[in-house]
Amino acid sequence: MLPRAAGIGISAATTWAQMTNARGVVVLSKKKSMRKAISGQVDVDIKSNTGVFKNKESVDWEVPHGTRVEFLIDGRIQMNGDGGLVTYIEGTVLVNPHLTIKYKLHDQDWITIDRVLHEVPEMPEATLPHPHTFKLGEFMTHATLFGKVTLVNFLKTGFSRISDQSINDFVKNGLLKPLLTKSLPTLTEEDFKKVFVAIQATELMPPSTKSVLTVGEEALSKSIQRLGQVDFFSVVTRKPCICDFKPVVVEVALARFINRNLQSDEPVQLLRFANRVPLQFDKAGCAITRAIESVNWKSYGLQQPKDSLPIGPFVFAVSVTSPFIKFKNASKETIDASDELVEEIRRTSMQAGQKLARHIRKEFKEADLERKLAHIELFGPILVEKLVEIVGANETRKSKATEGLRKLLGRDSEAAIADLEEAESRLKAQKDKEAKKSGQESGSQGLNEAAIEDERQTTEKTTEKTTDKTTDKTTDKAAERSTEKTTEKSTEKTTTAKA
Amino acid sequence: MAKLLSVRELKIDIPKEAKIIADKMLRDLENSKRPVLEAVKTTLDNSYYNSKVGYLTPGDKKVRTELNVSSVQKLARVVFLLEIILRNLDIGSVNTKRELYYICKGLIRGNKKYKPLDFEDQVESDSIIDFIGDMLEVYREELNCFANERGGQTYSQQLVVTETLSDGTKATIDLSTLGTAPFQPKNKPQALRLKAKKKIDFCLIIESEGTANTLVNMGFTKRNNCILMGAGGVPSNGVRGWCKLIQEELEIPMFFFGDLDAYTMQNIFRTLKAGSAASLIRNANFSAPEVKFLGVLPEDVRKYDLPHYNVKESDPVEARALKKAKDALENDPFFLDKKNKGLADILRWLIKKKIRCEQQSFFSVDPKDPIKTEKIILEKIRNKSFV
Repeated sequence: MLPRAAGIGISAATTWAQMTNARGVVVLSKKKSMRKAISGQVDVDIKSNTGVFKNKESVDWEVPHGTRVEFLIDGRIQMNGDGGLVTYIEGTVLVNPHLTIKYKLHDQDWITIDRVLHEVPEMPEATLPHPHTFKLGEFMTHATLFGKVTLVNFLKTGFSRISDQSINDFVKNGLLKPLLTKSLPTLTEEDFKKVFVAIQATELMPPSTKSVLTVGEEALSKSIQRLGQVDFFSVVTRKPCICDFKPVVVEVALARFINRNLQSDEPVQLLRFANRVPLQFDKAGCAITRAIESVNWKSYGLQQPKDSLPIGPFVFAVSVTSPFIKFKNASKETIDASDELVEEIRRTSMQAGQKLARHIRKEFKEADLERKLAHIELFGPILVEKLVEIVGANETRKSKATEGLRKLLGRDSEAAIADLEEAESRLKAQKDKEAKKSGQESGSQGLNEAAIEDERQTTEKTTEKTTDKTTDKTTDKAAERSTEKTTEKSTEKTTTAKA
Repeated sequence: MAKLLSVRELKIDIPKEAKIIADKMLRDLENSKRPVLEAVKTTLDNSYYNSKVGYLTPGDKKVRTELNVSSVQKLARVVFLLEIILRNLDIGSVNTKRELYYICKGLIRGNKKYKPLDFEDQVESDSIIDFIGDMLEVYREELNCFANERGGQTYSQQLVVTETLSDGTKATIDLSTLGTAPFQPKNKPQALRLKAKKKIDFCLIIESEGTANTLVNMGFTKRNNCILMGAGGVPSNGVRGWCKLIQEELEIPMFFFGDLDAYTMQNIFRTLKAGSAASLIRNANFSAPEVKFLGVLPEDVRKYDLPHYNVKESDPVEARALKKAKDALENDPFFLDKKNKGLADILRWLIKKKIRCEQQSFFSVDPKDPIKTEKIILEKIRNKSFV
């Protein structure tokens, strides 16, 4: 159910339905205060490009309030891929945690995705403009709306984030004090320029967060799990800032899914959003794509060809929220790649990348340990045997050399275990920090139950291998440590997950 | 089995040296000490060039491979292959690198415990063989590992080659009796002795074998007392060894005629004249320092108004060659040496102009004269128009 029809191209959709199926949209709508719902058909008068409401009726509808729209449209449906319907639905689900959606595609079964946030986000209230979002012309036009008020009153009542202290700061930055008490109509263009320059030169509080409706790290963390079984993820919501004189908030979610059919040797799946609307076409020139490509993902443990998206079975979701998003074209599919906005998205992505890197590093260290243990087992005996054969040495030398080799390589595996432990503790510290932030219990965030179970099994497997393979005293000790560590960790995680 | 001809007078006894290394490794292991293998570092940063010597020689840098969990695979493979090579040396058996790769495969298949050593492709086993060579500072041929490399296709009416065969008998080849067929020696310069029936004025090595064939067909070798050879692109050890032999035995002026581009200058001509960083330990026997660069020279492009092309920087191969040329001017001791200033100037010119001119462009000077290229080459030699 759509609370309102904004953002889905309602007039285009209605016209299309009418042109292909000779009927516009059938609407059923009911407010909380209404006893009966109103149904009717909305068509488009093609000549005047205005809506025509027909067949109005009052009908009974069991739901307390809502709107239902029905289109019958003739067209080609693209299901998969960047521009596909499934990607659109998934994207919409991701950035709308409060949304419950029930849908059926072709002859597939009905699919229901429940909401994970039970409070409907309130529409942001209209706030006064931030002075740094204005250009000179806009500033002067804005002043004409206030009539005969003094400049100081205009600044204090016409903008947000301007206090008495700010006025003093303007004066320090070159605003002539006498101008403040002058009436707006008496100010010349030159005066406005001076005022404008002083305001721009003064540092002000960033615009209010209330003016932009973000999804939020916690909600995004929950919502991302609706797209599939998450292996691990990282989410970052930045504080609002000014880019190109407009308030902007960037949110990034990076996730690796289990069984999502993403290839490890293909570029990551990039989901782009502008004010919660999925952008599915013209990816190349978009500020989001540019920013992601400009980050050096290799330092976060991902592969990346030069100036391209990183490689791997990941989903990168980037959402840009702003009251004024500058698009590159009329179809609103590409966000204009201004330097400031690209930099802001880039910084957000890097923050998310840092979190992600801790997961990847831990995996790498695990694999490294396993590889090292395997190497000792596999190559050590051959090395000794062949040396003995070349030299023509006896059995005593052979067993002494075997013993020596185990000691040497055992030291290396101990070092690898220490590396792994360090990586694990860093990851745990990050999870604790995140959990504290969202008020959850330690260790539960970032991994769902199945993933925890998987991890437990993997670590048990590693431990088994460690214990089996190493007979040497030193390595036994290492295995013991590893066992203690992984068992402790698994128990802790399982308990938390159950709780 | 007949005794193999040695490539050079070898100062070390390979089996004895290998056993000393293996024994030291074993002793280190017994004492829980990490064994270390050292090999000559065969890279440009360990290459030295002395114009009096004439070729790139190795510096003191070594590649140290110390035993740890990451290197245990490499060390096990080194010892595994070393044993095969020692057996070959013992019984006098020879193999190519590819054959050694399959011998390893066969041994690994026959014994399950060797399975982890298995090579995925020949590159892996080749690098181990090269490491053993660099470690013992010997040629692969001295490890009884031969390549099927042939010297360049050679034509001459004056040259007579005497080859000592493996059974000790000698074969004499008079190149003037071969008709249109070229003489192409195997990569065993040590088995060949050269003699000139008549005074030979010069040896011309042409980058393209096709152009060399054209010149011969048009009577170049009949009209001139010379040796004409096709290098066939980047010179193999066979070509390099053969040129070295001509230089040493006949002491005649030698000229290289090839394309005017960064790739030819660095990868073909420099390798022929001074060897390469990858084969540092064998450059002494596989380079011909007296070879001069006859062309195409930058002044030829102007003088003969030769058709030339802009280097496509979008083409990764050409872009890489240009980048390498810049690196070479800064880091390659061959181009840094003042004796080779003329060659370095050509590289600088190529980087600045970003053009390339092919050797065949001489055929555009007078298209109606089929021997115009020959005339220009002779004129250039006469006028000392070479670097």
